[in-house]
Amino acid sequence: MLKRSLIGLIGIVALWSAAVHLFNVPAYLLPGPLDVAERIVFLFQRANLLWHIYVTLTEILGGFLLGGLVGVASAIAFSRSPLLLRLTTPLILLLQTTPKIAIAPLLLLWLGLGAAPKIVLVAIVTFFPVMTAMLSGITYMNKSYADLAGVLRLSAWQRFRHIELPASLPTLFAGATVATTLAMTAAVIGELMGANKGVGFLLANGQENADTATVIGMVILLSFLGWAFFALLDYGRRRMEDRFR
Amino acid sequence: MITIEQIAKKFSGKSGEVIALEPFSQEIAEGELVSIIGPSGCGKSTLLRIIAGLETPTSGKIVLGTSGLKRPVGFVFQDAVLLPWKTVAENIRFPLDTSGVPRSQGDQKVKELIQLVGLAGFENSLPKQLSGGMKQRAAIARALADDPPILLMDEPFSAVDLLTRETLNDELSRIWRKTGKTILLVTHSVEEAAYLGTRVMVMSPRPGRLRKTFDVDLPSPRGEETKRSPEFLDLVAELRTMMREMTQ
Repeated sequence: MLKRSLIGLIGIVALWSAAVHLFNVPAYLLPGPLDVAERIVFLFQRANLLWHIYVTLTEILGGFLLGGLVGVASAIAFSRSPLLLRLTTPLILLLQTTPKIAIAPLLLLWLGLGAAPKIVLVAIVTFFPVMTAMLSGITYMNKSYADLAGVLRLSAWQRFRHIELPASLPTLFAGATVATTLAMTAAVIGELMGANKGVGFLLANGQENADTATVIGMVILLSFLGWAFFALLDYGRRRMEDRFR
Repeated sequence: MITIEQIAKKFSGKSGEVIALEPFSQEIAEGELVSIIGPSGCGKSTLLRIIAGLETPTSGKIVLGTSGLKRPVGFVFQDAVLLPWKTVAENIRFPLDTSGVPRSQGDQKVKELIQLVGLAGFENSLPKQLSGGMKQRAAIARALADDPPILLMDEPFSAVDLLTRETLNDELSRIWRKTGKTILLVTHSVEEAAYLGTRVMVMSPRPGRLRKTFDVDLPSPRGEETKRSPEFLDLVAELRTMMREMTQ
């Protein structure tokens, strides 16, 4: 699996390199893979790239955990109280249907140029898919499980821990997987709009300086970060299935 | 053991009120196995759910002579309701795990129960790997796990084939004699009701009410010869006639 992905990756890089040389593409349009790699190494050595990666990852993971936890907690509250769900649905939908890119400037105005507005933005986009996934996991759970919980006189916590959570794990992680892509996008949008650190900041910097190699390098870096994030989530899913089932 | 005092249940929905159960009273003694039969809509499942505490009656009350036990009843559902992510042994141990029984003690109990219901060798199987009959065996073991004095069974064998059903009937009869539980068995099958019960409660639909109770005077333990005895056949015929009248 990994071997084949690697072969595919090498193929793409080779094609890219060949195209740049064959068609004599100017470097300001599309630098070759070596130029991009050189630029990434340069950024590592001179511009503290590792620290920028750390900043962006903190924003993504922090916001993802915040939005995810609030999402799961809300889903539990909504499943217990349909009235609460009806009262808050208009607000949630309003927040959800507003383009996130339009909320970003507002958050920057309120929270400044640091990590806080990015974390909040990531949390907002993570909240909805996680909350709806968890809520439908609980709502469409086999109704007889509730009877089993009733007969066994389970406490609210036992019901959640032993029945609702394990029964909802597959849907919860389906929602969380959708949220990973949104979370990546939200963090980068936040950084593009106003930041003084982070991978998105370097990307915006590259664009301003017409430094195509940096822009492409950061795009590639972001997709690797996304892939790592995906893998981390999958690891989390397996750990939770072992632990809570 | 179970005193049913003027129990009644109404469900109110958009299309008005539905009377699920008209008031009735009944005493069930310790160690009895009472079969409850009746056509759909006669309130037999509702009665069982009220006794289990899953529904509250509109009026009347249930008194269980179980002196403040936290879990006075074990319940066997129609479709087993095993948790699919737990193995057979874990499912059976679930009531023990959630009431703070130590692991080693729980394991010992599960071992006994697995023997009792005949599931040896399937401890580590997942529910999806079991046949319908085996799932119900596991469900019965789970219902017995923390030793409740009362066992409520809601059409437990309606989803298994006839041969398995007859085997499970004999198994249930054996388990009942061995454990001395008070059992209420809701069933659609007239033969099953007569074969297993010390008493048969017949209920009629719309509105649900207790039509008649029959004492079953058949010798115990029962077996194939019971099913050929004139007393059994007479009772089955009488029950069937009564059921047919109600569904017409």
